[in-house]
Amino acid sequence: MGKEALLRVENLTLSLKTREGEIVPVREVSFSLSKGEAVGLVGESGSGKTLTGLSLLGLFPPGSRIAGGSIFFDGEDLLALPEGRLRTIRGQKVSMVFQEPQSALNPVLTVETQIREIYQSHTPLSGEEISRRILEGLRAAGLPDPLTVSRSYPHQLSGGMRQRVMIAMALALDPLLVIADEPTTALDPTVALQILALLARIRQRSGQSLLFISHDLSHVRRVSDRVLLMYAGRIVEEAPSARFFSLGPRHPYGRALLASRPEGGILTRKEAPLQAIGGQVPPLWDLPPGCSFAPRCSRADALCTSTLPPWNGGEGERVFCHHPDESPLGAPVHAA
Amino acid sequence: MRPDLPLLQAESLSREFDLPGGGIFARKRRLEAVSEVSFSIGRQEVLGLVGESGSGKTTIGRMVMRLLPPTRGRILFDGVDLTALSGRALRAQRRRFQMVFQDPYASLNPRMRVREIVEEPLVVHGIEPDSSSRRDRVARLLERVGLSSRDMERLPREFSGGGRQRIGIARAIACGPELLVADEPIASLDLSMGAQIINLFSSLVDTDAMSLLFISHDIPMVRYLSDRVAVLYRGRIVESGPTRDVLDDPRHPYTRLLAEGTLPEAGEAAPSNAGSEPGPTGLCAFLPRCDRALPECRLAPPPRLSEGEVREVLCHLPRGESSWSPVTLLSQGSPSDVPATPSR
Ligand SMILES: Nc1ncnc2c1ncn2[C@@H]1O[C@H](COP(=O)(O)OP(=O)(O)OP(=O)(O)O)[C@@H](O)[C@H]1O
Ligand SMILES: Nc1ncnc2c1ncn2[C@@H]1O[C@H](COP(=O)(O)OP(=O)(O)OP(=O)(O)O)[C@@H](O)[C@H]1O
Ligand code: SF4
Ligand SMILES: [Mg+2]
Ligand SMILES: [Mg+2]
Repeated sequence: MGKEALLRVENLTLSLKTREGEIVPVREVSFSLSKGEAVGLVGESGSGKTLTGLSLLGLFPPGSRIAGGSIFFDGEDLLALPEGRLRTIRGQKVSMVFQEPQSALNPVLTVETQIREIYQSHTPLSGEEISRRILEGLRAAGLPDPLTVSRSYPHQLSGGMRQRVMIAMALALDPLLVIADEPTTALDPTVALQILALLARIRQRSGQSLLFISHDLSHVRRVSDRVLLMYAGRIVEEAPSARFFSLGPRHPYGRALLASRPEGGILTRKEAPLQAIGGQVPPLWDLPPGCSFAPRCSRADALCTSTLPPWNGGEGERVFCHHPDESPLGAPVHAA
Repeated sequence: MRPDLPLLQAESLSREFDLPGGGIFARKRRLEAVSEVSFSIGRQEVLGLVGESGSGKTTIGRMVMRLLPPTRGRILFDGVDLTALSGRALRAQRRRFQMVFQDPYASLNPRMRVREIVEEPLVVHGIEPDSSSRRDRVARLLERVGLSSRDMERLPREFSGGGRQRIGIARAIACGPELLVADEPIASLDLSMGAQIINLFSSLVDTDAMSLLFISHDIPMVRYLSDRVAVLYRGRIVESGPTRDVLDDPRHPYTRLLAEGTLPEAGEAAPSNAGSEPGPTGLCAFLPRCDRALPECRLAPPPRLSEGEVREVLCHLPRGESSWSPVTLLSQGSPSDVPATPSR
């Protein structure tokens, strides 16, 4: 550690009432984030990344409850704050690029109106100054015709344009922490790289911290100092980004995940099927007693099936596994 | 069925939108989001559609699905002009083509349970009228997309982003469409789940004789899955042809950028997106970004050149090469001799 922690999440556990009974989609999640640091959060679809991100904003789905743990952000205990204070923090200090922009944006307001509202409720800026910043923000987010975009309603924009509008909104107030949940899914490679460059610039300039949630590992590799890997509600590995991608993840799930890409574009569908990880993700209401990955893991033994793994290693570099894979990755990870 | 024809032929499709105006007295500006786009998709063929954000991919997908009328042009599905159909005749065709939408959540009715969402097309088209066998079919569909039959009674908001995306996929393939338009279908999925879905698409195409329009920013995945690829830039197809040829030896400078995934200068955001406003110049839309532009690029619109009737490019660059020759407009309008390759 050493560096000043801006965010410290400890043993965060979130439970949710569903028809199948109580589930725990976020389980004993711990990590910290320093000023100016970028951390990538990756993992299985449905492993709890979005719920973890939302909880840093104090947003919880209906029917959920914090079953344990704490979130300290910039010296304040987020889980103990009244809603009024949370609302100030949201936007001003922490903001989020939501995974599905179309649902996060208001369909009946123009882009301009929606961004203006953010400034009006958090700053004393004049109307003119706000207009100037709106256009500047949209342009910085890689939208070449900000004026037209600002006058548009969300449905008049393409998926990637909406995504860039979300990014501009999240960056509007220059928050201390940005949670970017799949911010590049609708962007072509060249625009995506521009956005990553923008985030890096802001981090250097103003020491902003970034939690970067993404399935695109090449992007995660490019932006993150550290990587957190999630599976079935838990963080199962934390590693410096360089180590994770060059030597390979130590958690067997991480290894299997990296193997699912069409390798270097050598294959086509006529030649071989892609290597999906065999078996199913266990349902959250019916998790096995030991390691959640055991039913699909090639290294699993009786111990794995019966007993929760221990944490190997310490903060910054740790793996939640009985038999971590310490062999260096054979082929270099795809750079696509 | 007309097995002699490509399943889908899009002929000179264009679509304009009104740009949001600057006030009631301002002159209305129009955006040509899709300009003169022609392509075809053969039976059991996968056409990858790639291009920058805002270049018109979704708009093309929606026109093909008949969810959005083209401003100009025709769409022939199995030889029938879809743009001329309406009412009952159109409804009868609908089960034959389906779409996976780019924004999963916005495309799902939030009040419907997963079972109702996935079985809706089966009900609408009168497939599987018996409710218990319909239920079985829904269960099987959910398993194919990596969900479980226990998800049937859940609501869309109870799923993660990737879960919703797969609900949309299950719905789209429910009634065994002949053509699937899949708009960024794996963008919210982890690598393994993405691989499972791509394998599912492969088997639908290669075993169940489906055709696929695969819209994606994921170039390696496009390379893996697609037989042919079309590259869109500001509403126009700037390059098309067999996937390997195009991505391994790109001829249009924009394709080159995509294929290499090169990092743009970390300076100002390069201008990107949106179709071109119909302007007087007609010059290449890529010109402002092009590092290989020739003097003629500033003088005349780029020609559409073809190589061996399988590859096409909209660019001045290959003009001097003997294997590339201008595309004649004659092949237009005589669909019977158009093979499953892009025309014009
Ligand atoms: N409101 C809810 N009710 C019930 N279950 C929920 C609800 N919201 C999320 N879940 C479940 O919690 C789990 C974690 O969801 P989350 O959205 O955090 O996943 P994720 O890691 O972001 O996945 P993706 O990569 O697909 O977006 C999922 O299994 C999801 O089905
Ligand atoms: N209903 C509409 N009204 C006005 N303009 C529209 C409408 N739908 C799309 N557009 C415009 O058409 C252009 C193309 O949009 P489209 O959604 O087809 O792009 P796309 O290639 O799918 O991009 P992305 O990769 O970002 O999803 C954009 O400039 C968009 O703003
Ligand atoms: S604990 Fe055992 S089952 Fe779990 S990932 Fe490690 S080796 Fe595999
Ligand atoms: Mg998510
Ligand atoms: Mg789109």
